[in-house]
Amino acid sequence: MEAMVERYRKPTRILHWVHAGAFTVLFLTGLILFVPGLGVLAQDSWTRILHRAAAVVFIVAPLIYIPMNWKATVRGIKDAFTWGPEDLGWLQAAPSYYFLADEKAMPPQGHMNTGQKMWWLMAIVFGLLFVATGIIMWLFKATLPGAAFLWAVFVHDVSFIAAGNMFFVHVYLSVAHPLMRPLSQGAWASMSRGKVPVEYVKSHHAKWYDEEARGKEIATIGNRR
Amino acid sequence: MAEKAILYDAARCTACRGCQAACKQWNESDEGEGEKTTNFGSYENPRDLSPKTWLKMEFREVERNGKVSWLFSRRACMHCTDAGCVKVCPTKAVFHHELGFVAYNKDLCSGCGYCIEACPFNVPRLTGNRISGIGKMDKCTFCTTPNLDRVDNGQEPACVKTCPPHALAYGDRDKLVAEGRKRVATLQANGNSNAYLFGDKELDGLHVLYVLAEAPATYGLPINPKVPAASVVWQNVMQPLGWVLGGLTIVGLGLNFMVAREARLTKGLPGKKEE
Repeated sequence: MEAMVERYRKPTRILHWVHAGAFTVLFLTGLILFVPGLGVLAQDSWTRILHRAAAVVFIVAPLIYIPMNWKATVRGIKDAFTWGPEDLGWLQAAPSYYFLADEKAMPPQGHMNTGQKMWWLMAIVFGLLFVATGIIMWLFKATLPGAAFLWAVFVHDVSFIAAGNMFFVHVYLSVAHPLMRPLSQGAWASMSRGKVPVEYVKSHHAKWYDEEARGKEIATIGNRR
Repeated sequence: MAEKAILYDAARCTACRGCQAACKQWNESDEGEGEKTTNFGSYENPRDLSPKTWLKMEFREVERNGKVSWLFSRRACMHCTDAGCVKVCPTKAVFHHELGFVAYNKDLCSGCGYCIEACPFNVPRLTGNRISGIGKMDKCTFCTTPNLDRVDNGQEPACVKTCPPHALAYGDRDKLVAEGRKRVATLQANGNSNAYLFGDKELDGLHVLYVLAEAPATYGLPINPKVPAASVVWQNVMQPLGWVLGGLTIVGLGLNFMVAREARLTKGLPGKKEE
């Protein structure tokens, strides 16, 4: 028997995976346009239909989530823009932690650690840029001046490069980094079943534990997963 | 191989529009029936280029030296060396032919339409559904449309072939530039002081050269045309930077994996396998 703490509620987890699925389709159907030799896959517009279908999911999913989970939305956005001294400490300690497994210098982290917060902030900023420029390219091609359309394409591509690279980093740190134990604790556990062991929370998100999670442990019987 | 070009002489053109008809006849548009003629107070017809009209003649009434002058000019793909459409086409459906001009393989077109805004001459035209995104671009292919390739078979483009007053000529670009300069000099000697050879230097050299009796602007041609800045910054700066960043990310993550794995084993920390 091991005490667990809920890290992400069910609606949040569903939003995460729906968005992740849509993003993957958008990423791949966009990527083929830039890899020499793969461009032929885009002929006859079929990847454009996929891209647009996924774009609708990408836009609609948060629009459904936000009114139904207003408190969580406000909190999440506040988190993304709240930065303190422990974030500076994280940035200084991160190289020796992620390369050398040296945890000593790592200051206590909140619900999201600084790295997670950076990715979350980027997801908000570039998500909005993707949507805004994507809508321009989709619906206003005929009405806007040519230069405006081309700059929208440019910003879409900048977002693609930034978010695409960070997407790799996100997946890698979630499930592939040698120090991560995603199944029992951390990324996979928190995004699949939503719960992580309290011991993990104390060691990796001590600030969150002290401020909020303490006393909210859920006892689970037997299999910790 | 020597680059090929078309020389259009606006001073010789009678605007019979034979080229317009020959273009349609040869290239057999797959975009359905021809266009209806509508009178809008000019011999000019149709009103604009379209997926079915890759070449059209333009008629202008201009005052020159106190007299009305009827100026004709040709409107079709200019086949630039520094071509905005080639720069932005993600599927390489528009590409530079080995003879220098801009050829087009319609099969490869994804319908994105980036070429439309990237073209300094506003030439490509898009058919298709704006909501679904299904579509195809059309423009003059210099008569190199697959299976309808005249140039590959040693023939001049259909428009050149049909031109009764020989206002159109096809041949080596170098020779046509020399010929064009000669004609411009003659026009200037005959009192057309603004005569100009358009396409000699524009966009690193066009593969359709215009001998003009007046300044390019009088014919509605852009002065010093340029590929739009957004397309240049996108393709020449952002794309290479994107590849560098992508490469660094993947190499960085690979290095991190090796170093961190070593550190984990040295310190005897639990890993994924021990779960």
